[in-house]
Amino acid sequence: MESLTITDQTSVEVNQMLRRLIKEHDELRIENPHSIHNLGTALKGKCKVTINGSTGYFTGGFLAGPTLEILGNTGWYTGDNMSDGEIIVHKSTGSNCAPSMMGGTLLVRGNSGSRLGFGMKGGDLIVCGDAGRWAGYMTLGGRIIILGKMGPVIGESMYKGVIHTVDPDVESKIGNNVRVVNITESEKQAVTALFEKYQIDHPVDQFKSVIPLESGRHKYTLFNPTHRQSSDANVNLHHKI
Amino acid sequence: MDKAVKIPKVTIAQHGVWTKETRQEINHKAVTGQHRVRGMGAITRFPNFDDLTVLPAQLSRLSVDTYRESCVTKTSLGSRFASKPLEIETPIMISGMSYGALGKEAKTALAKSTQIVGTSINNGEGGLLPEERDNSYKQVVQILPSRFGFSLESIEAADALEIICGIGAKPGLTGHLLGNKITKEIAELRQIPEGIDLYSHPRHGDIFGPDDMVLKIKELRDITNFEIPIFLKIAAGRVTEDVKIAVKTGADGVVVDGCQAGTGAAPVVASKNLGIPTLPALVQATRAIEDMGVKDEFSLIVSGGIRDGADVAKALALGADAVAIGTGANIAMGCISCQKCHEGVCPVGICTQDPELREKLVDDAAQRVANYITAMTNEAIIIAKAAGKTKLSNLEREDIRSMTLEACAMTGIPLIGTNFTFTEPFGFF
Repeated sequence: MESLTITDQTSVEVNQMLRRLIKEHDELRIENPHSIHNLGTALKGKCKVTINGSTGYFTGGFLAGPTLEILGNTGWYTGDNMSDGEIIVHKSTGSNCAPSMMGGTLLVRGNSGSRLGFGMKGGDLIVCGDAGRWAGYMTLGGRIIILGKMGPVIGESMYKGVIHTVDPDVESKIGNNVRVVNITESEKQAVTALFEKYQIDHPVDQFKSVIPLESGRHKYTLFNPTHRQSSDANVNLHHKI
Repeated sequence: MDKAVKIPKVTIAQHGVWTKETRQEINHKAVTGQHRVRGMGAITRFPNFDDLTVLPAQLSRLSVDTYRESCVTKTSLGSRFASKPLEIETPIMISGMSYGALGKEAKTALAKSTQIVGTSINNGEGGLLPEERDNSYKQVVQILPSRFGFSLESIEAADALEIICGIGAKPGLTGHLLGNKITKEIAELRQIPEGIDLYSHPRHGDIFGPDDMVLKIKELRDITNFEIPIFLKIAAGRVTEDVKIAVKTGADGVVVDGCQAGTGAAPVVASKNLGIPTLPALVQATRAIEDMGVKDEFSLIVSGGIRDGADVAKALALGADAVAIGTGANIAMGCISCQKCHEGVCPVGICTQDPELREKLVDDAAQRVANYITAMTNEAIIIAKAAGKTKLSNLEREDIRSMTLEACAMTGIPLIGTNFTFTEPFGFF
């Protein structure tokens, strides 16, 4: 295994080196990543890159094939626009994890901040810990699986895709233009396969799924007077920030 | 008096406040409880480039022969950090209009026109149509918050990138594409359900602030090997602050979109009341770029209501490096400004996805747009040469004067017949 130690190189220099080495090696290891931003941008091909430490913002952006295994934490925007390959974060990620993700798998063993899966279009995003608010905002596809507790406004205005959650309060936490249903058998099989692949020990029967409205047609309420609603009315708390 | 005098009845055709349009607006709201959405953008009369005039060269300088001497129109944009700047034959670009808002034939015709005149087209929201890329001379690819149809391949196909922060027709809002234009093909490209009313993502999921923009641009530089330019597009609002931030983010240039800009659909209240016009926005942008000390390296492109070569010449004199046109190009293809772009019933086959209506697009649409851009460039050359310039880019603010007090106060360009301004002077005297 080829090993790199980052000293004073820029992220561009490190990424250029990685692109060259990926063609020659099946496995690479990066020591002392110094939490640099933009590490592993637009890497293509098949290779496992292990990063021994934490990384900054935009880790593995536009990833298109390789596996990035980060043994520490990652900053915001991990796996932005990634289309293929794997990102495995052993600890936690900052906010806005996997924005506009198109494909591949992003696994977070720890927690993830708010707005994970923002505008996600495809692929699998798995968070073994808790997730912040506004998860799966306006997704266009893909699968988000959260094993811990979730913040409010889950799946606001999803167009396509699914969020699997075991949060017992999911019904009261969902955003507008989505609904909660039981996980289907085919979804259970897909989740089970992912859990087996990544050695995640968690039952799949308990999952609820947050999915888009059947019609796909969103309704938005800009002005929502509440003064005439009785206390037991179904108060529409739009944009529960 | 034997016969009663018949007193003519006076009919008040128009009330100062409760105009026909205002009454229609109120009735629309009274029936629907909703704000109105319409195509084409603002219809308000804004201060524009007609409020400026260009000073001809006479004794103090010599004019250049209009028809026999040359005048350079080639334009290079984005050379600040990009090793392959966007090189175009005329400083008139075609701005971003989505495949979705426009039909495939119209997008393809626009792309073909860029081949004829040697300029660039911008894909707009909703992905890069293969027919557009195959036919375009230079391809600008937009990076929008929605990322509909966007991927690494889109970047690799681009001659320049444009990160959208806002658009002039509805600044602070995002794309509106109503259900009658979301056909099966458009829905598949955007990964959305067919036939829904679509209101795009409001902000970039991977850019939540200017510091993040710095890193995002570095990421894009890495992907593009520092070759192609990266521009930011902003709607004209707090132009001074926004342009200075754009300079600091490490972009190669900025596109400033004034509030006259067109759109396929926008809330009328947004088109009418948000943002500032292109003319004062351009002055503020130029000032900001000069304040930052990057005038020679940071490209400034303006758009919003650009109609003819005079607008182009005056924009260049005020500090723009290029302009972008959208509505004008559509009109060249036959647009009649019916303002029904949002309904998808465009009678001339431009802003529609209806196969029958799309067939109505004129056969020579590409050539007409190319002719329009050629004629606009000719007009700009005529003005530049009359002002004694052998390059369009040599037009400068000393060459122009304000025709109205309003324009003078707004731009800092002296009022005609004086050497005075009624506001902060703009760089000379």
